[in-house]
Amino acid sequence: MAAAAPAAAPAAAAAPAPTVPAPQVPRGQVDLVDFVDWSGVECLNQDSSHTVVNALKQGYRDDEGLYLASDSDEQLLIYIPFMQVVKLHSALFKGPEEEGPKTIKLFSNKEHMGFSNVSDYPPSDSLNLSSNHLVENKLVQLKYVKFQNVRSLTIFVDNNQSGSDVSKIQKIALYGTTVDTTNMKDLKKIEEH
Amino acid sequence: MVLEATMICIDNSEWMRNGDYAPSRFQAQADAVNLICGAKTQSNPENTVGVMTMAGKGVRVLVTPTSDLGKILACMHGLEVGAEANLAAAIQVAQLALKHRQNKRQQQRIIAFIGSPVKYDKKVLETIGKKLKKNNVSLDIVDFGEIDDEKPEKLEALISAVNSSDSSHIVHVPPGEIALSDVLISTPIFTGEEGGSGFAASAAAAAATGAAGFEFDVDPNVDPELALALRLSMEEERARQEAIAKKAAEESSGAENKDHVSSSNTDSVMAEAEPASNATADDKKDQPKDDDDAQLLQQALAMSMDEGSSGAAAVADAAMAEVAVDDQDLALALQMSVQDASMSGQSDMSKVFEDRSFVTSILNSLPGVDPNDPSVKDLLASLHGQGEQEKEDRSDKPEDEKK
Repeated sequence: MAAAAPAAAPAAAAAPAPTVPAPQVPRGQVDLVDFVDWSGVECLNQDSSHTVVNALKQGYRDDEGLYLASDSDEQLLIYIPFMQVVKLHSALFKGPEEEGPKTIKLFSNKEHMGFSNVSDYPPSDSLNLSSNHLVENKLVQLKYVKFQNVRSLTIFVDNNQSGSDVSKIQKIALYGTTVDTTNMKDLKKIEEH
Repeated sequence: MVLEATMICIDNSEWMRNGDYAPSRFQAQADAVNLICGAKTQSNPENTVGVMTMAGKGVRVLVTPTSDLGKILACMHGLEVGAEANLAAAIQVAQLALKHRQNKRQQQRIIAFIGSPVKYDKKVLETIGKKLKKNNVSLDIVDFGEIDDEKPEKLEALISAVNSSDSSHIVHVPPGEIALSDVLISTPIFTGEEGGSGFAASAAAAAATGAAGFEFDVDPNVDPELALALRLSMEEERARQEAIAKKAAEESSGAENKDHVSSSNTDSVMAEAEPASNATADDKKDQPKDDDDAQLLQQALAMSMDEGSSGAAAVADAAMAEVAVDDQDLALALQMSVQDASMSGQSDMSKVFEDRSFVTSILNSLPGVDPNDPSVKDLLASLHGQGEQEKEDRSDKPEDEKK
């Protein structure tokens, strides 16, 4: 697993052009975007023209022009349920230097959180992003032991890099592995003889 | 059909004692609340509605969001009016009540009735609005009661702070003839986002205030055949109901005539058909549709007179002379009654009753009434006043013939 971070770093150093290197998927991990249960994804305080789909979905998140923006103030609360139980390994956040997220708290398996109870329980993990993370596609390692049995993930964006009123996130990618549970969608009826 | 949990905040402050909305502001508000609860629970059976007060004993939740309409209506009883409304605290409590709703999939909505003056300034209200928007709660405001200079502006500012994609609305209801609930029926508070529920749409249609709701909750664009079938069956049903109503009206009109005669008898000294016209005028007031009823009555009279031609029924019509009447004596009598009629703007019905032959023939057809009974004859005499001896002679003849 440790090879992942150094692998990304020399790639960044070696690249001569100013283009940002593509993130290396850590060995043994998969991009969990395929396991997200889209019907249950919610985001509080999102701007209706810049929704969470822009940051999460394949295709949308790679588009530079599409981003998730906050509405009334700079905080965001994103709820992502998964179709299977997963283990989270690392995460990637991409956003503008100024309005990108700074402090992020992650909660595992807490349904229907609101802004009022984010401080009620300790987060499963707490991240402090720098502008490097946002711009250079640097993966953030998570406390793997805390994310062994994740049915849903709640991401709380507390503030942003520049302290502006609006937080913007271009991409959120989660890497990990699945625990072998049944995916109900794959259940097929056995043909009768 | 959106799945929603609603908290209704009632203003039961001292300002609600005022009677500029009939019967009192508080009562008008209560009616509106009942209507809204009904509409919400009908539009989606899983919707829940809760009620709380903003003033009185304080900001209290009377009933937490529930789909049981009876509970909601019951809690409105015995509410006391007094003190001042605390809007900020009420909205906070409402938010809390919604946060702890049982079904987390429901959208959160607060409906606030604001009838007392708003003592907060715009900034505070905007902050409240932003907090609601952040937590994805929609807000509907019914601005009624006290008319302040700044109140509408402040409330508009609050709504624009909360509003995201048109889910929050504000309605200003000035005092006047139209009841608070009737005004609300046509607003988006009732009808919801799209066309709205069948309840709301039909209520709006009934109030004839043109909501954007589709009839029968079916979009003609989406399913034209179904909409057409529903509409046709509705019209058929209506026609059937009208036919039944007509029959009932005929039967009742017979009894009606009896009532006319007896009521006119109670009036003292009178000219010709004054009492008759008074009685009929009163009756007319009771009757919702004058024209329809006159027609129905004419038909009833025609049937009771056993006259084959429908022309006889139109005798009451002003164009009496044009009508072909089989019975010569009847025609004469009618002409006499027309000539004798000296009142302008007299109703058709009074002409009918002026004609004694008509009345007697009707009485003929009525069971248990014998026109030759002296008491009945007295009635008829008083009905048409003095100096009608000649008419009585004339009417005797058709009477005999009819017998």
